[in-house]
Amino acid sequence: MEVKLKVFRYNPEDDEGKHFDTFTLEAEPTDRVLDLLEQVKNYVDGTLTFRRSCAHGVCGSDAIRINGVNRLACKVLVQDLKSKTVKIEPILGLEVEKDLVVDMEPFFRHYKSVLPYFVNDDPPPMKERLQSPEERSRFDDTTKCILCASCTTSCPSFWINEEYVGPSAIVNAHRFIYDSRDQAAAERLEILNDQFGVYRCHTIFNCTDACPREIEVTKAVGEVKKAIATGRLE
Amino acid sequence: MTLDRKVGLLAGLRYKGGGPMLAWILHRITGLGMIVFIALHVIASLLGGDIGIAINTVYQSLYFQLFVVFGIIFHGVNGLRIIVLDLWPKFIEYQRESTWLEWFIILPVYGLTAFVMISRFLAGE
Ligand code: FES
Repeated sequence: MEVKLKVFRYNPEDDEGKHFDTFTLEAEPTDRVLDLLEQVKNYVDGTLTFRRSCAHGVCGSDAIRINGVNRLACKVLVQDLKSKTVKIEPILGLEVEKDLVVDMEPFFRHYKSVLPYFVNDDPPPMKERLQSPEERSRFDDTTKCILCASCTTSCPSFWINEEYVGPSAIVNAHRFIYDSRDQAAAERLEILNDQFGVYRCHTIFNCTDACPREIEVTKAVGEVKKAIATGRLE
Repeated sequence: MTLDRKVGLLAGLRYKGGGPMLAWILHRITGLGMIVFIALHVIASLLGGDIGIAINTVYQSLYFQLFVVFGIIFHGVNGLRIIVLDLWPKFIEYQRESTWLEWFIILPVYGLTAFVMISRFLAGE
């Protein structure tokens, strides 16, 4: 089948500015959008720039806007697209460096700010730190994050102010806040109880829709909000 | 506070967030609408005279009233929905259903109110 790929282009080193290029390609219904981008890069225009690594929805490097919503290029099949014209744009809210590549620095700065690692100062036991299956399942959903930035860059609060910590950072804080073996929950809640913290979330749900791992992002944010408000972890 | 906006209004509106994003936008618009309505009310009484009367005529018109009533009902019900989801995050899993429920409440309440308003208007009250 024939597919029209309308791709956002920007090269800071030429003076064409921000514009769209259209490529007409032959594609299989089972091709992924990433395959279309590869086809352009390999056979039509080698200057097209985008990130990708695993091509299997694991590394989180190819989050882009496909027909107006954030998706991983490697997880969207051509047959699942509603139209034969596919509009490809970089994710919103982060500076575009070239074509579909954005500067991820603000995103990772927020990620680091919530202590996204295990904290426990007790001397390590001889064997593992035990945890019941129920305790483990409490934060199972938020362990799935691959840091693709789809959620954060789909969030109007983040578009309005880049200082907002963003859903992804909150999801990663949630992963440790609700871990029974971790000891820094209070500290993380304090960090997120900030004017640029969880309360910037206005329950818009773009993040939940955008997450390629089907994490209940807004729910995780809601649980953190409630934990801050009540001082209790439920 | 620094406002470091990288995304323009139009670019943001072009994002296809679907129902929940529309509800949020509508919540903002109806909220602002109510502020404008109350501000007009206050300004009209403050200024009086011809300008006061002109403003009164605008917001007493049926169309404006229909808009304001919709704004109030939508803003109220949607606000309650968000409050419930915020207080009991476990319900967030059912957010799609919550939006349906919201319209299930808004449409009859607004429909009935609008019906009464329009019939009174037509009766010349
Ligand atoms: S390329 Fe790794 S997630 Fe798509």
